[in-house]
Amino acid sequence: MDSKPFAEPTSGAPKKPPAPVKIVIAGGFGVGKTTAVASISEIPPLRTEAVMTSAAAEIDRTGHVPAKTTTTVAMDFGCITIDDEVKLYLFGTPGQDRFGFMWHDLVVGALGALVIVDTRRLDDCYPAVDYFEKAGVPFVVAVNKFDGMLNHDLNDVRWALAVSDEVPLVTFDAREKLSVRDALLAVLRNTFSRAQARAAAP
Amino acid sequence: MTGRQDDPDVSLLRPYLMTSGRTKPVDHTIEIEAQVMTSTLGANSVQNLTFERRDILSLCRRTMSVAEIAAMLKLHIGVARVLVADLAALGYVVVRRPEAETPQDLRMIERVIRGLEALR
Repeated sequence: MDSKPFAEPTSGAPKKPPAPVKIVIAGGFGVGKTTAVASISEIPPLRTEAVMTSAAAEIDRTGHVPAKTTTTVAMDFGCITIDDEVKLYLFGTPGQDRFGFMWHDLVVGALGALVIVDTRRLDDCYPAVDYFEKAGVPFVVAVNKFDGMLNHDLNDVRWALAVSDEVPLVTFDAREKLSVRDALLAVLRNTFSRAQARAAAP
Repeated sequence: MTGRQDDPDVSLLRPYLMTSGRTKPVDHTIEIEAQVMTSTLGANSVQNLTFERRDILSLCRRTMSVAEIAAMLKLHIGVARVLVADLAALGYVVVRRPEAETPQDLRMIERVIRGLEALR
């Protein structure tokens, strides 16, 4: 609401741009982030590079202040038109440790996050889970069913990731549009119930 | 994924040249999903501009995000932010930024849920 630093054009603008909203898709390398974005995006996924600095170090609650570092991160993203006035963006971001505290830029204002997990390489997603927990971003863990197989019981995954029972855990197939849609709906419903609980709190 | 290790000097130098040495946009907080639309003034001023600024005004006849501008023009996100903020300060583009309270906005979340549910 208060973020309107730019003057409205005086010459009658034909139409107001849509309101952008976003969901962040995180996870280790090769876990299916780009595939998921491609399955549901209405534009072919785009890639861009961002130089990110560790400017978000203040959210590191460990008391450790890392030296300011700069890393180039590739992001794949896509979008979905929700209606005439709202556009949903999906930003896929590397989940590796070295990017851990560089996500503030990307994550601020996000409706939530989807952390994609490959059960063969569970530890790849620890940094993302850690980050979203600390940053207070509502997230859902989604196990990508490679080749339609699910090798681990979901309870084992929850135990291994040490995420609380409040974090929804779903399975999905990153290649299937409707499956990706359902995973994103899980993210939104999770965010909704948290926002609702917060609104109801005295 | 990270790339660029092979050629660090080029990747660091070029963006600075493009933005005339500035890395701080007029408003450096502009979000990567912020929507950018060329204004009538901007459309009428294309011929006065060069290179990336002109490209942005041409691209944004169709509204798109800062991230899309960066990807399509192969610019670093930070550079795209600087250029978009410059063009906005001149009134050449209209920028719609996300609402800060969206993650708590129940009606907006419901709206996005309904939109996604309608996908087939």
